[in-house]
Amino acid sequence: MRAVLRRIGTGLVVLWVAATAAYLALLAAPGSTVDTIVGDGADTPAIRSQIITEWGLDRPAVLQYLDYLWRAAHGDLGRSYLLQRPVSAIVGEQVWPTLKLALSAAVLGILLALVLALTTRRPWVRRVSSTAELVVVSTPPFLIGIVLLSIFSFRFGLFPVSGDHGAAALVLPAVTLALPIAGVLTQVLRDGLDRALDEPFTVTARARGLRESAVLVRHALRHALLPAVTLLGWLFGVLLGGAVIIEQVFGRPGLGQVTLTAVNSKDMPVVLAVVVLSALVYVVLNTVADLAYLLVDPRLRRS
Amino acid sequence: MRRTRTIAALIATLSLALAACDAGSATTSAEAGQPVDGGSLTWGIETEPITFNPHQYAQAKARLLVGNSFEGLLTHDDKGGYVPLLASGYEASPDGRAYTFKLRSGVRFSDGTAFDAAAVKANIDQLRAAGYAPAVAAVQLHSLKDVEIPDPATVVFRLTAPDVLFLDFLSSPQGAIVSPASLKAAKNLKAGGPELAGTGPFILDRYTAGQEVHFKRNPAYWGSRPAYLDEVTYRFLKEPSVRVGALTSGQVQVIEGVPATDQALITGDLTLSKGLNSGSAYSYYLNAAHAPFDDVKVRQAFRDALDVNTVLDAVYRGTATRAWSVVSPTSPFYDKSLENSYGDNPARANQLLDEAGWTQRDADGFRTKDGKRLTVRLVQSAPFVRDRRDILAQTVQAAVRKSAGIDLNVAVVDQGTATKALADGAYEVFDNSRADTDAGAALNLLLRSGGAINRTGVTDPEVDKLLAQGDAGTDRLGAYSNVQQKVVTQQALVLPLYAPADQIAASRSVGGLGFEPTAGVPVSAYGVWLAK
Repeated sequence: MRAVLRRIGTGLVVLWVAATAAYLALLAAPGSTVDTIVGDGADTPAIRSQIITEWGLDRPAVLQYLDYLWRAAHGDLGRSYLLQRPVSAIVGEQVWPTLKLALSAAVLGILLALVLALTTRRPWVRRVSSTAELVVVSTPPFLIGIVLLSIFSFRFGLFPVSGDHGAAALVLPAVTLALPIAGVLTQVLRDGLDRALDEPFTVTARARGLRESAVLVRHALRHALLPAVTLLGWLFGVLLGGAVIIEQVFGRPGLGQVTLTAVNSKDMPVVLAVVVLSALVYVVLNTVADLAYLLVDPRLRRS
Repeated sequence: MRRTRTIAALIATLSLALAACDAGSATTSAEAGQPVDGGSLTWGIETEPITFNPHQYAQAKARLLVGNSFEGLLTHDDKGGYVPLLASGYEASPDGRAYTFKLRSGVRFSDGTAFDAAAVKANIDQLRAAGYAPAVAAVQLHSLKDVEIPDPATVVFRLTAPDVLFLDFLSSPQGAIVSPASLKAAKNLKAGGPELAGTGPFILDRYTAGQEVHFKRNPAYWGSRPAYLDEVTYRFLKEPSVRVGALTSGQVQVIEGVPATDQALITGDLTLSKGLNSGSAYSYYLNAAHAPFDDVKVRQAFRDALDVNTVLDAVYRGTATRAWSVVSPTSPFYDKSLENSYGDNPARANQLLDEAGWTQRDADGFRTKDGKRLTVRLVQSAPFVRDRRDILAQTVQAAVRKSAGIDLNVAVVDQGTATKALADGAYEVFDNSRADTDAGAALNLLLRSGGAINRTGVTDPEVDKLLAQGDAGTDRLGAYSNVQQKVVTQQALVLPLYAPADQIAASRSVGGLGFEPTAGVPVSAYGVWLAK
């Protein structure tokens, strides 16, 4: 119980630090909030003073910050400077499309990695697969997306180009996002498998007369999974970063687009909400990773 | 970003190759023929509007959506004049300080509210409410004194001074009349959307942020006929190559925004059309507030050093329209006599720079004076860079370096940094184009002393007088023509580059597409039909 409470406590501190850091970063960025609201339109002192009054920007930064924290603690994330709607609504309606994309990409990426790492054990298959992995890892997702679109959507019309219209529209974006993940994870898993197969317990297992596939799946894979689980946090970063580009290329709704616009236009309330949300997911994922270690490795359970 | 662009070019080539495979199997469909009722159109557009409230309108790229559901008292004709829309007629008082409008009867907003004089007044009151639309209140309504409604079908606008630009406001998106009931009830008033009701031929009924906006036909439209289409969906496709791909594969029937690199793909069953925008041409404004551009000779030298045609061809492959004046060539106030009257004269540029004292050259070949390099800075704000204006700037940079030893320093920065540079005067070149329907509105902002976007740092009483004369409506053509001669030809404060344009590419089965008169942006969906 105490351990759980401590975890929640640390989680909250992480959230607070993330929000504060984002706030300070935006404060330190050149130009004022008024500048960004004015944009490239007409700019006179009268217009400026109206904007300042409307958003309460004449208060000291510390006061604005405390006010923000106070309201955030009560579930009020404020209104977007740019879109003029409540931030909770903007983020709320965009979370599910991004989550759908991220989850399907993650599942696809992990499955692909498992299958590839386990099946490409012969030297020549392995070399082919390894090269392909390197290629997809080093290709920008933008390019992968457009190439997939050009072939499967524009040329053969198998999948729709844009939007969030059912399962078919999810295929290409999810594959685009999953390929680099699969690439990295396969390399890590294969490396882990190689090392596990060199261990004495493998010799013992083989000596017991186990089939090679059983050795691989039941024994070596468990060891290989540990470093892969550590990459869970990294995975989240890739998914969020990739979503920005993929949502743009595929014309999909989602948090990536919202974040990009908000950062570009210094839309502070939206940026803060996205940062806090990301921090929250990060905390949850790391907790899951910690629990997964226990599941994968019995030695950790005992200690 | 640089990398993305190279890749985009690569993709264009790739798609070209794929399209080439297709060319053999292309079938020619019948032309759109006579208008037909019904059907559902999907239109891929470049820009997702930040707001659907017409009063808050600020993006020329979003203008094609406004007219679907909102209308003003007036609209533009194709000669720069005004024709009644929700008004049945109007007259100006002899002193030009009052406009009396008779309103069309029997018009209802799509939420059932009646359109009458009280509705018009409620809209103006809303626009002037504190914190609602400060830019509209400060600029377009600056001369409005009050609004009187003697009877439900009559509105009188009283002005503090004669101002013909007030008519431009009444025909602009910001001057659209929104149902006063929905103005009161809307939870997110400034964001607009399905909550706001207008009088237009379509009703915005669904908006999915980041994906699309959907309009359905307004069956009770007051005009001579309802819209042809049952429904129209605008999909937000930000990547040009994706827009073109979606069109060539038939997933959308119309797209807007076809960059030069992709125009070769619009062949066979597809048509491409281009409309020049209204307002001001894309121009470089030279900051005469400090050295080196405080010297008119250096400004003229910068202008003469540049061969605009060559630069445009290099960047836009012959698809751009060269601008000769700060005023767009489609405007009725465009002064044609400026054409070929200046520029592309490196010999004269070098002579002018010698005369101005920039006689020395440094190790890199740039001109210097008193040991100081002839450097001018152009700061571009990344969120507002479009039409490859960053590439254009780099090409200009290379051109003026080669022909006259001028060091044009180009920086593409975030909005905050750009605003700061402008506020601190840390720039010598400012780039801008405006899509105002009345060029006079753009000139007022850009050239009047203390104008809201006057970045030349010049206060010229004569220009101010001419602009005021234009506002008052007395010999507008002559007044604006004098302004153009002055700032472009004589003073070289403005270096016009190209006339911004919109492009539409569409399947041949779509009829009624085109560009709005005067504004030059793609039309709304009212007159568009889909052949069966």
